[in-house]
Amino acid sequence: MDQRLLDELAGICGAEAVLHEPLQLLTYECDALPHLRSLPAAVVLPSSASQVQAVVRVCHRAGIPFVARGHGTGLSGGALPAKDGVVIALSRLNRILDVDIANRRVTVEPGVTNLEITKAVAPHGYYYAPDPSSQQVCSIGGNVAENSGGAHCLKYGFTVHHVLALEVVLPDGEVANIGSPVVDTPGPDLLGLFVGSEGTLGIATKIVVRILRKPESVQTLLAAFDSIDAGGEAVSAIIGAGIIPAAVEMMDSLAIQAAEAAVHPNFPPSDTILIVELDGPAAEVRSLFQIVEETCRRVGATKIEIAPDDQQRARIWRGRKAAFAAMGRVSPNYYVQDGVVPRTKLPEVLGKVRDLSIRSGLRIGNVFHAGDGNLHPLICYDERVPGESDRAVEVAGEILRYCVEAGGSITGEHGVGADKAEYMSQMFTAEDLDAMQRVRLAFDPRNLCNPRKIFPTPRLCGEVPGPYRAHPVETAGLAERF
Amino acid sequence: MPSVPSFLPSCDPVILRSSALREGTPLDAIDGVQPGHVAEPASPQALAELLAGAARDGASVVLRGGGTKLGWGRQPKPVDLVISTRRLNRVLTHAYGDLTATVEAGTPIRALNQELRRHGQWLPIDAPFDEATVGGVIATNDSGPLRHRHGTPRDLLIGVHLAMTDGRVVKAGGTVVKNVAGYDLGKLVSGSHGSLAAIVDATFKLAPLPGASTTVVAAFHEPGALVRAVSAVSASQLEPTAFDLHVVAALGKILIQFSSTPAAIDAQVEELRRWLVTADSFELVTGPAEADVWRGQTRGMWESPGSIVRASWLPANLPAVLSLLTEMAGEQPIQLAARAGVGAGLIRIEGNSSAHAAAIEGLRARPGVVGHVVVLRAEAAVKQQIDVWGGPSDHEALLGAVKRAFDPAGILNAGRGPV
Repeated sequence: MDQRLLDELAGICGAEAVLHEPLQLLTYECDALPHLRSLPAAVVLPSSASQVQAVVRVCHRAGIPFVARGHGTGLSGGALPAKDGVVIALSRLNRILDVDIANRRVTVEPGVTNLEITKAVAPHGYYYAPDPSSQQVCSIGGNVAENSGGAHCLKYGFTVHHVLALEVVLPDGEVANIGSPVVDTPGPDLLGLFVGSEGTLGIATKIVVRILRKPESVQTLLAAFDSIDAGGEAVSAIIGAGIIPAAVEMMDSLAIQAAEAAVHPNFPPSDTILIVELDGPAAEVRSLFQIVEETCRRVGATKIEIAPDDQQRARIWRGRKAAFAAMGRVSPNYYVQDGVVPRTKLPEVLGKVRDLSIRSGLRIGNVFHAGDGNLHPLICYDERVPGESDRAVEVAGEILRYCVEAGGSITGEHGVGADKAEYMSQMFTAEDLDAMQRVRLAFDPRNLCNPRKIFPTPRLCGEVPGPYRAHPVETAGLAERF
Repeated sequence: MPSVPSFLPSCDPVILRSSALREGTPLDAIDGVQPGHVAEPASPQALAELLAGAARDGASVVLRGGGTKLGWGRQPKPVDLVISTRRLNRVLTHAYGDLTATVEAGTPIRALNQELRRHGQWLPIDAPFDEATVGGVIATNDSGPLRHRHGTPRDLLIGVHLAMTDGRVVKAGGTVVKNVAGYDLGKLVSGSHGSLAAIVDATFKLAPLPGASTTVVAAFHEPGALVRAVSAVSASQLEPTAFDLHVVAALGKILIQFSSTPAAIDAQVEELRRWLVTADSFELVTGPAEADVWRGQTRGMWESPGSIVRASWLPANLPAVLSLLTEMAGEQPIQLAARAGVGAGLIRIEGNSSAHAAAIEGLRARPGVVGHVVVLRAEAAVKQQIDVWGGPSDHEALLGAVKRAFDPAGILNAGRGPV
């Protein structure tokens, strides 16, 4: 990159906040999808919204592509740097600006982690609802970009249902406020469009979220089954009874083994476990929980455990939320996918996945948000075996095809990013994508803001398609996957 | 068959005929402006072709669902064509096992819910008008008291097909609740009032019909006691499905609905009684009387004269909002029907219409108290004095760019706004 531009960036953020030595840049060459890597020309670490704005202005003027990055936990390569571009890392914008309990609103900078919001309001009896498994480390700015969900979104919705207002630096460096802390902003819902646009429409520099009162009661049950089908039948019966649990999660035997090996949640050895959590007014939870328990027994649960206290509930969730990272204990390499099927199609699609596993010779663990049909197949492989990584990629693509054919989606919560852009044409026609592109160009006519994401394009030069490889930071033992 | 026309010369006459193109009548008038023609296309593709023809021929178009909110918006410039979605009225799928439904835009919410009821489900949108359609509630993002639990239509919408002004029908979102693939154009058209594209069908996530419900109506003659009670309920762990306020002159009422199992309703009502101990009356309402209470709360205002504005505020600002309304009520009677937990509601201003504009400006002059004061219903004389949408925002340029991307010929909505 031109030295004058680097100097200009250093003039904005300070020399120590501009990285351009190849070794410094390595940390930023990928997010939590480490098989897609690309070195940026520079990384800047602004510490205020006005610095972000000034950096974007420089990039816009010079025609340099830029990519916003939160804490790098994304699973679709959404923060993959643009070649010869600038990465704008928002980790220093990490202040909670306002906690307004009376109005149930919290204002934060994008680098605040998801869990920090809940920690800030928990003493008052409140929490922030969206809870992606990476919530300890993922940034709220990243959650906004991806419209993150989590185990509890079945009842509480996604990030888009909990964000009220954004201050956004647009791709040309102008600042806009979209949405508002007061509801009912007139006109098209730009806020709803922006949330989930994967960093392609601008950079959020201030975020106002809604917090919720903690429910009076929470009850969590873990049921073991002999088959995924039996577990699925329990889920259908619970939802068919008009109950919307706070969370309904399933894990298959491979995922259970992995979780046991990693965090020892003491799950019963079984083919399938189902976790059902209800929350709300105590009397309601009591009466509905009884129905859930009876339903699980009726469809053949081999074992039922009810968490008697918060500690035991945390144990169950630890086992579930560690499932991705735990696959590393049972397989040298794995690749996570994020397909969605209509819930009633789960047995059919999981049957196909099982057949595919046999046919391909690759083990596939399944962890899924059963309430909303969001599958996270974990495809195990060994990159040392010639051809196995390629086979894992093919298997992942095949599973996404099953999801789309069943009327579902290629991504429920991880985003399209760079990873699944080529699958977009399975879900959308060229005309659908063109309409979306028009929106993108209205925001970013020069296509500088997180280019080559979401929309299918020819693969980048030097980009290696393929599944999970350990991030350098993981290899060094400095971080774990979520 | 009516002879068709020199109107929309670039449109295929077969499309015009099959869309029952006719001349506008006084019954079709929008805010007093009679449209030149009215068309009722029978398919999404025909609707898109009409839009494309209008774009080529530079004809201004207003989209119409049930016509229940046509008076919302600025007074229209001349309208060449009203396109009605009346014939796009089928429930396409009800995937009850998945709690989703896909429905054409012209379907009335009431008809949809009759269909969904067969499997014990519904779309929990309680907008105030019987004939309101799926497309209309999305385009206006209109909602009622159930917003407290279920949000507004944009929160329930998971996929759309849109007819674009270039003649294409495009999809965004999908038919599963959890899906982040591509831009959420369904959100973009929520609140767009038909100014970007025509919604031709929509997929929603649904809710199970509640097993039982009870409504508490508590009356307060002292505003201080009312706001303290609202604040106590807000901070409690009660989980009502609706939490409303109704205020006229010195009489304030809190209306709270619980929908759950009978035991859970009883327990919550008992707790609520403790929070509302200062109420002048505390009444439990169930059955048909309960439906009447909510019908009154959502529709009463629309059945009475005067201007109606939508306003919103930070929930804890309620005392200031009530003081402001009391101040204004000195000049003309004012009614408030509001979502207490959300901080939003409708304000009806009665009396001499010449004072309405002043009252609306009075609300807008206090942005620290109320925000987003949008006029929904007002006579032409009032609309001539104020902009129904309020002042420009700092994202006008962005909205303009989106408008040009979707409607480059500027044919949609005849200047009624919001873009």
